[in-house]
Amino acid sequence: MISSFYGLQTSLRGLLAQQRMLDTTGHNIANASTKGYSRQEATLVASPALIVPAGSLASGAGAHIGSGVDVETFRRVRNQFVDLQYRSQNTNLGEWAARANALDAAELSLAEPGENGINEQLARFWDAWADVANAPVDPAAKQALAEQAGALADAFATVRAQIAMARDQGMAEYATLSGPTGEVALAAQDLAGLNDQIKRYITAGDIPNDLLDRRDLLIDQLSRFGQVSVTEQADGTVDVAFVDTAAAATTYPIVTGTTATWAGPPAGDAWSPGGRLGGLLEASRSGGTLDGYLADVDAVATSLATLVNGAYGATFFETGPGPAGATLRVEAGIAADPRAIDPGSGNAGSNDRALAVGALRDHASIDRAYQAFVAKVGAQVRDARRQEANAQVLTDAVENRRQSVSGVSLDEEMANMVRFQRSYQASARAMSTMDEMLDVLINRTGRVGL
Amino acid sequence: MSMRITNAMVTRNVLASLNEVSDKLTRAQQKAASGKEISRPSDDPFNAARAMALRQGMSATQQYKRNIEDATGWTEATEQALAQITEVAQRARDLLVQGGTDAADPTSREAIAAELEQIIESVKETASATYRGAYLFSGTDVNDRPYLPGADDSYRGDQAGANPAIPGVIREIGPGVTMTINTVGSDVLGRGQGAADGKLLHVLRDAVDDLRSGDGAAIRTDLGRLDGELEALLEVRAANGARANRLDAALTRLDEVEESHLRQLTNTESADIAKVLIELNSQTAAYQSALRAGASIVQSSLMDFLR
Repeated sequence: MISSFYGLQTSLRGLLAQQRMLDTTGHNIANASTKGYSRQEATLVASPALIVPAGSLASGAGAHIGSGVDVETFRRVRNQFVDLQYRSQNTNLGEWAARANALDAAELSLAEPGENGINEQLARFWDAWADVANAPVDPAAKQALAEQAGALADAFATVRAQIAMARDQGMAEYATLSGPTGEVALAAQDLAGLNDQIKRYITAGDIPNDLLDRRDLLIDQLSRFGQVSVTEQADGTVDVAFVDTAAAATTYPIVTGTTATWAGPPAGDAWSPGGRLGGLLEASRSGGTLDGYLADVDAVATSLATLVNGAYGATFFETGPGPAGATLRVEAGIAADPRAIDPGSGNAGSNDRALAVGALRDHASIDRAYQAFVAKVGAQVRDARRQEANAQVLTDAVENRRQSVSGVSLDEEMANMVRFQRSYQASARAMSTMDEMLDVLINRTGRVGL
Repeated sequence: MSMRITNAMVTRNVLASLNEVSDKLTRAQQKAASGKEISRPSDDPFNAARAMALRQGMSATQQYKRNIEDATGWTEATEQALAQITEVAQRARDLLVQGGTDAADPTSREAIAAELEQIIESVKETASATYRGAYLFSGTDVNDRPYLPGADDSYRGDQAGANPAIPGVIREIGPGVTMTINTVGSDVLGRGQGAADGKLLHVLRDAVDDLRSGDGAAIRTDLGRLDGELEALLEVRAANGARANRLDAALTRLDEVEESHLRQLTNTESADIAKVLIELNSQTAAYQSALRAGASIVQSSLMDFLR
């Protein structure tokens, strides 16, 4: 025999379940713009049926009578494989963005093509020599030459200083990010804390969806800094480490279980982590791209000094101690008194030395080498920017795919809201129908003739 | 199954396309404002280097033109001085013709001799002409006056430029092309009587002596020698004129080179304004339509249609 009140419980279960569904919808809507949030859904299952023993049906068989619905889990809708793709693209994007940024600064410091770059100063320097050749006895021409030579040396020093500054800033940024109070270390601490909380809930059998989202978001952010590997443990914690892009077997742990294990980059920065750290290192480390630019500038400055001095037959430019680009200067005697410039080896009107220096114009190791250097910087900046744009497109595409799975669609939530509201109303209607039935049974049955 | 489109995706995509279009718009705007196709090497590395080389070439060409102008000034000053010397030498010839006639008496010959001495001074004075502070006829010894006033006729400059083996005052008139532009004073006027080189000063001094000694035959010989020197002067002036012609020709050629450099530089570096403006307009339109499309897609929602 089945209780007369049985249906009330079924409807109540329906009401409660729809209410949970609406709660989840509300949570989704509230978090529609939360970074890293994955939409959640309550999964419903039919609750265990009421089993009536044999003989209750006409056929004499028993029956399972439905007892309504239960919420089985609240789960987050997320695809772990898309997460992996996203992180690998994000690492790539971080690396190229950092490189493009650093090289961009170097390119800007060249101020080419323009009136203020080394190229123009070189042209004016050769012009000044020709003017001296035209008027070997004119002190004004020599004065102008000494000043132009000084301006050229300044141009070299400025360009070199700015590239060196870009390099130093890159290294400083790298050191800050990866240092003991940097973003990697902070993320490691946060991850350790989250691992700890998640572990406790998982052990208790709960699934802390929102904490998992926050942990995934932190790992996403770490993937911008370098290539990460994520290993899930049975207790719900994850071990996170940077992986060397050159030697995949070498890892640098960030967090292990509930302990932050980030100990900073290896000694001598002898690693290639990829990502923003790798990009900064690639551009700014000693022997990196920017260092190469400095060497190129120094090489041009050295050939300028050597060739000019050779053609002049005496010291006109001095360099050192230190890098040639930074220390290039007009010889002290000439700088003090430009009349000391001796344009010719013969009498006052001879100008063979000035002509010999002037003939260096467009020399393969000076002007042309500098132009080739500028073209190289331009090509590398262009390449870095193109790579960055590509990585951005790929990252966006993966992020779109991820959002397509995990993102909140307000339209969908609205549709669900209508659905759950209607279900709730229908359950309530079922309950009031049951109530009316009981009303008939209790209040009106057995009152014939009263 | 078709892709689920979520609100975050829509916003991201709208923003990404707005960014892309406004980036293009900014670039077009930059080109239009600066008139330059290349404002940074990374815009076009190859053409940026080419533009820099062309700028160097332009600068060199302009400098060669300045060198030529300077050299032309030198040859013009030289021609002026030589013309003046020719003129006074001509006057000396006229005087010698007068003094050479047997009718001339010692008084008039003395007067002629005195004027010839003035002419010698004048010739030496003219030969000490300068151009931008340099003595024209001293070879490369441009700080030293070639001839001192007075009886001493010795040449005080050097022989630089006297023949192709000795480089003289040189100007670079093109890439690797140099040219000697000076005329050596001792080639024209000689070193005076003491050197006995038969040049103008020697002849004039001889004439003065012969006038004073009253030797008519010797005076007439001097006249012949002076004629020879006048011829020689014309030759020197012709050589100087040939230099001026060569400089002119070089200048014309450099003008052409400069024009071609400028054209190439414009082609490489400058923006095609018509093209850039069309691009700017179409990017503006694209930006506005992206804004409009974005605004309409971001605003509408199912909420507008549910009760």
